[in-house]
Amino acid sequence: MKTRLLFPYWCRYLGLALFLAHVPVALFRKTMDFDFGDTNNDNLFNNHHVFFILTALVMVIGLFLIAFAREKVEDEQIWQIRLDSLRWAIYLNYLILIISLVFTKDVYHILELNLWVPLIFFIIRFRWVIFRLNRSLSREG
Amino acid sequence: MGYFSPQPFIKQGGVIMKNNIRVERAIKNITQADLAEQVNVSRQTINTIESNKYVPSTVLALKIARAFGKPLEDVFMLEEGD
Repeated sequence: MKTRLLFPYWCRYLGLALFLAHVPVALFRKTMDFDFGDTNNDNLFNNHHVFFILTALVMVIGLFLIAFAREKVEDEQIWQIRLDSLRWAIYLNYLILIISLVFTKDVYHILELNLWVPLIFFIIRFRWVIFRLNRSLSREG
Repeated sequence: MGYFSPQPFIKQGGVIMKNNIRVERAIKNITQADLAEQVNVSRQTINTIESNKYVPSTVLALKIARAFGKPLEDVFMLEEGD
């Protein structure tokens, strides 16, 4: 089957590494609430902004690689599960988006949520269905 | 199954697609993994087709029939679903 715009298999591990690497940094930023240098500087590309870009980009690229790396055997059923999981991820994302647009005015956090909700949900749904497939396989022996 | 099923095409217009893959495999004495390798899909896919949880594309169905050296309709058939 043709590769159809997916990353190679090893990208999954690269993505996982990137995502895991981002976690302590992001936690550090959140818990310490640390700002270095010019906090009053509201320009684009001040320290705070650059730090946000770096952590968010590392996370999003990591998730992206995990989500869209090829499976070992990428066949038509995997492709269908992929499509179906994407559909659910879009549904959920827009549900959350609409709810948060109606009930909050916190545009910044809505954006942040939108960065990872579809990808995370897609990955979880996709992996879960594949896990169920494998389990039914091992049950039958 | 239902809305969370990865396979929405199992039943279409009250008709269900059945298959003889398990029988044909027994005749040729090959495993699911052997067949999967012959038609370039994963073992999971062969397994779900056998248990009628997944309807293969026409190309894959033809490949499977060819692997058994039989016409398509000897391996896959339509049945009235309930």
